[in-house]
Parts: sequence; C-alpha cells; structure tokens
Amino acid sequence: MLTDRFLRDRRGVRLEAGERARLEASISETKTVDARRIIARAGDWLGQSTLLVEGIMSRYLDDRNGLRQLVAIHLPGDFVDLHAYPLKRLDHDVGTMTQVSIAIVPHVALDAITEEMPELTRKLWFATLLDAAIHRAWLFRLGRLDAIGRVAHFFCETNVRLQSAGLSDGREFMLGLTQADVAEICGLTTVHVNRVVRHLREEGLCTFRNGKVEILDPARLARRGQFDPSYLYIDDPDSSPPDDQRPRR
Amino acid sequence: MTTDLPTPPRPETEPGVATAERGVVMLDGPDGIAATMTAAAARGTGQSLIAAAALAEEQLTGEQS
Repeated sequence: MLTDRFLRDRRGVRLEAGERARLEASISETKTVDARRIIARAGDWLGQSTLLVEGIMSRYLDDRNGLRQLVAIHLPGDFVDLHAYPLKRLDHDVGTMTQVSIAIVPHVALDAITEEMPELTRKLWFATLLDAAIHRAWLFRLGRLDAIGRVAHFFCETNVRLQSAGLSDGREFMLGLTQADVAEICGLTTVHVNRVVRHLREEGLCTFRNGKVEILDPARLARRGQFDPSYLYIDDPDSSPPDDQRPRR
Repeated sequence: MTTDLPTPPRPETEPGVATAERGVVMLDGPDGIAATMTAAAARGTGQSLIAAAALAEEQLTGEQS
C-alpha cells in the first residue's frame, strides 16, 4: 500500500485499518518524478498535498544570491506538504533530491476526511506537528552545534527516521544525498563537510561513502551531535498513555 | 509552578580553532560557529578580531578605573 510508511511506529498514532483504507482511497494519482525537480514553488496556489512513497524530497529557501538553504528533508512515508491543506500557499519551495515516487491527495479529499473522520484528522495534525518538532531540532542544530555536531546530529536523526520507515537497520542506510546536499542542510561549505566526514570516520563514529551511511558507534555519534530522539515521537510501548487517557474514537 | 529560565548566552571564554585545508580556512567553534573563508577573508577577520579584542580590554580597564 502507498501509505504503509505514513506514521509507522509513531507514538500513539498508528493508523487503524479503516483509516489507512480511507487515506489510500483519497489518493487521486501516483507519479514518478526525476531528481532535482521542483514540485511546488513558494507562493503557488495548491489544491493538493503530496505523500512521499519512495525517495527523498526537500523544502528549501534561496538567499538573495541564489544560494540554497535546505530547511527540511522528507523521507518515505512523510506527508510532504500537508501544511498546504490549510495554508494553500507555501512560503518555501518543495523539490526532489532523488528520483521519487509520490501519491497525490486532493484537498477536497482531505476536506471530507476532516468532516467525517476526526480521529484520522487528529493523526494528520500529528504529522504536521511532527514536522514542526523536526524544524525545532534543525534550529537547535544550526544555532548551537559546531560543524561536526551538526553532521553527527543529522545522520542520527535520519537514521531514526529511516528506521521508523523500515529503511534502516539502525546501523546502516542508503542516503541518496551528496556531501554538497549535507552542506546545504547543515549550513556548511562542501569542503567543511568533507573534512567533518573524514573526522567522523577517523574517530570511528560513522562513514558516509557513495550515498551510504554506516554508523559505527551509535552512542558516541549521538553524544557528539547532542542527539536525543524524543522529538521524533517514535512508538515506545512502555510509554503509552493509560487507557482512560487515550483519545476517544 | 515556575522555575528559573536558563541565563542568556554568555561570551565565550574558549577560542575557536582555525585550520587550513584545500586552500581555504575553516573556523570551528565556539558554539555554533562553523565558517569557511578564503585566506584573505580569514586574514581580515583575524585582524578585525585582534583590534576588537584590544578595544574590549580598554573598555574593561575604563570601567574598573
């Protein structure tokens, strides 16, 4: 199913079978888009949202010299521009980093879900709040961490997100990005990222070669990046709320 | 219940570390500083930092007298 990875393993918001079926039925079409293409431009009116099925997408802003700052990356299972449903116009561009497979959900279908399925609506809301939590972590990364810490934090975060999507075993994952992409994510130059990657390898923390990340020492890498995954709201059976505090269905 | 908020950021007491690689200068730390500069920009930054440090020391001396 196209929505298999959406909110997979997220705390308390796993989709029920009926909710997943409704979301699947809301998809109007699927598309394959080449790498490095713009899906939505800032300011364009949008009447649909995009569920990322395969590949990597990004949100980004350009400065006055045309230099790009990536402000988010999206991984398989992310509802990339669900924000566009209430906003209708985005304040940033959305593009593909790799070749992607996407599913289109028209906003009229989301209208119907909002009216008829409040619990699924709450889960869609959760998805946008999860994006906001990740944005806060990216602010922290850029504002407080040095170059090595930024890259370490990014690799740790991506590992947990991909593991949640079933695309990392927790130690190794394919990341179809270049060092230049990592530079735009971490606010560094490519030469700086190149040195950081070498440092991480020499310190036995992780390697990044040909788009593949191998985490050699997860605990030390997380410590170096001051990474705490709690903001990703990964499902933990031990932390489930008591039955009387679960949302009513 | 309220608790005291953490204090705002304070001036760093540890110097940043500059290194050269592939014809550019990289400045790491303190905190979130991670900059790559050409040699000329790095030299200019260094001279500006040294001049500002001297001025800051004069300001502290003035406050104490």
